[in-house]
Amino acid sequence: MMTYISCFFLGGFILSMVAVACNPSPFYGSFGLVAVAGFGCAVVVGSGGTFLALILVMIYVGAMLVVFVYSAALAADRYPESWGSGGVAGQAMGYLLGVMVASGFFWKEEYGVLWGFGGSVEELAPQRGDIGGVSWMYSLGGPLLVISAGALLLTLFVVFEVTRLLHRGAFR
Amino acid sequence: MTPPHFAFSATFILALTGLVFHRTHLLSALLCLEGMMLSLFVALSLWALQLDITSFLASPLLLLAFSACEASTGLALLAATARTHGSDRLQSLNLLQC
Repeated sequence: MMTYISCFFLGGFILSMVAVACNPSPFYGSFGLVAVAGFGCAVVVGSGGTFLALILVMIYVGAMLVVFVYSAALAADRYPESWGSGGVAGQAMGYLLGVMVASGFFWKEEYGVLWGFGGSVEELAPQRGDIGGVSWMYSLGGPLLVISAGALLLTLFVVFEVTRLLHRGAFR
Repeated sequence: MTPPHFAFSATFILALTGLVFHRTHLLSALLCLEGMMLSLFVALSLWALQLDITSFLASPLLLLAFSACEASTGLALLAATARTHGSDRLQSLNLLQC
């Protein structure tokens, strides 16, 4: 039963990415990316990483995709293309065909689908599974966090310079 | 390969193909780039979880942080393009006419 559920989420992951790859308009692409994130979250939960799945949903869908949707509203068509226009349906069929051919070569049934609880221990430890792993980032990976914060600050200045916000503000 | 391994590999290659063959909007290419980073996140998480290497579970979080940096830079480029060219359609990016 769990194998069926895991295979359903894996299949949904791939099919939603087919929808993202051949999107007719960024609106539909963003919606497809939300679906990919949801199925990916379910796949990670099925392997025991509940904290990582929560982080994925909150930060990816809740923050980054919201920014993407705002940008899609900024640079939007008045009449966006839909799924039937152009060669979009043909492209989607082509991608699906490619995925099916590849899965015929690579998807071996004898391996099955692994599912379980990450870092299963016999007794209840204070740190179980992925929460214990993520906390390493704060203890031993402290310098790495400082360097990453410096990189994020640098990205802020890159964005300021690309959009010329510091020099001229929002005026054209 | 195991089904999860095939799933995120296929997802990465699909998003890469979508990035290469984007047709009209620059934002579609950025969305496919985000799809690639998402598949890499799932790949790193599954790798560390299924092999019980708990110390590698910080790498998906750091990947997510840097993916946010990359997305913000891409969107800044998109905003700059929409300012100067009026929209983000690729037909208007024709300064290098060949």
